[in-house]
Amino acid sequence: MSAMAGPAEHQVGGAGSRPDRLMLAILIFTTIGFADAAYLTYVHYHGFSALACFGAHSGHSSCQTVQSSQWSELDGVPVALLGLIGYVGLYVSYLVAARVNAELGRAAAFGIALIGFGFSMYLTYREIFTIHAICEWCVGSAVCLTVLTVLTAVRYLRAGTAGT
Amino acid sequence: MASRKEQKEQARAARIAQEQEAAAKAQRTRRLQVFGGVIAIAVVVIVVVIALSVGGSKSTSGSSLTTDAKAKAAAAYVATELKNIPQSGTTLGSPSAKVTLTYFGDLQCPICADFTKGIGGGGLPQFIQNDVRHGKVKIVYRSFCTASCNNTSVSNPQQLFNTQQVAAYAAGKQNKFWNYAEIFYREQGTEGTPYVTSGYLSGIAQEIPGLNMSAWQSARKDQTLHTQVNTDNSVATTDGIQATPALVIKGPKGIQSLGAGILTYAQLEAGVKAVS
Repeated sequence: MSAMAGPAEHQVGGAGSRPDRLMLAILIFTTIGFADAAYLTYVHYHGFSALACFGAHSGHSSCQTVQSSQWSELDGVPVALLGLIGYVGLYVSYLVAARVNAELGRAAAFGIALIGFGFSMYLTYREIFTIHAICEWCVGSAVCLTVLTVLTAVRYLRAGTAGT
Repeated sequence: MASRKEQKEQARAARIAQEQEAAAKAQRTRRLQVFGGVIAIAVVVIVVVIALSVGGSKSTSGSSLTTDAKAKAAAAYVATELKNIPQSGTTLGSPSAKVTLTYFGDLQCPICADFTKGIGGGGLPQFIQNDVRHGKVKIVYRSFCTASCNNTSVSNPQQLFNTQQVAAYAAGKQNKFWNYAEIFYREQGTEGTPYVTSGYLSGIAQEIPGLNMSAWQSARKDQTLHTQVNTDNSVATTDGIQATPALVIKGPKGIQSLGAGILTYAQLEAGVKAVS
């Protein structure tokens, strides 16, 4: 068992070995999603005039429509802020995987990404069928979370077979 | 002897390989179990979050308008916000104010609601307290159909738009248009849904302190108010208005379009300075 832990640990990327391509891709998508969520959170608190959006809806920006809808908040907390917290959680899980417990960190990363993916799918459903407007920034984050769910799942499962 | 030693080595190697394979298999099984557990936990979390989200949306819908504590709080807030500010028809502020801000709006428009409530940096509440309350500026509301006309969930969107806007103008007959519009925006339902019903419109009127309901009901049949809504729409189209909320400011130095969207207090103030 201990003989297998070695190679599995090294695959985390950052625990003393060169980062693998999978981890690099995960970090890239996490950073893109983090920046996206940070921007939407900033816009929520500082005014929609800062919101750059390509779509038009009912004579105004479709992003404004989505961001000002009742689905943009969860019990008073902006969904964008929840997304931002999720991305911070992902970074923390990568650190845990690299420094504390590789398996726990990888499992946590997959769990966080999966929760984010599920909720972003629900919000996309609301955009299409309830609000009838699409926010490109929200779709961007949904795409990042979809990719991250797949990548973190592969990372977790691949590490499990690394020693064999 | 050498042959026996080799046999022992081979047996040892085979045993180690077997042990390693068994350990790897056990670890794979454990990882898959953890993987399934993570998926199960994530599904539960997602379901709870969606339930919270749906619950939140139900509490803000217009169906339980008159009994909702939130609605009462909104009406009380609006009454305080507009207290002692002169109103006449759709005009808020002193008739002698030198600057006039024309607000083209649609009561079903969520962006208008945000601008009016001060969400997303919307500067209207601060503007009302600082500029309108002190007689510097008056605001004239005009109707322009945007979100209402895109509401495909109702059979005749244009007719519903006229009905809802006239309901607000009818309150204006008692100098309470702004109370009606502000409460409407605060209790607005989901865009594109058929939440604007006769009961919804009456519910808002009932929340306005001091509004004579029978006079309000009579005023809703006033043909001049229906004509006023149609005229507002025509004016907006002639002026090149394409979205709501659209704002045009007029003062001693001329007239200026401030554009459409959620304007901040600073943007509104800059407009006032430009025409004063």
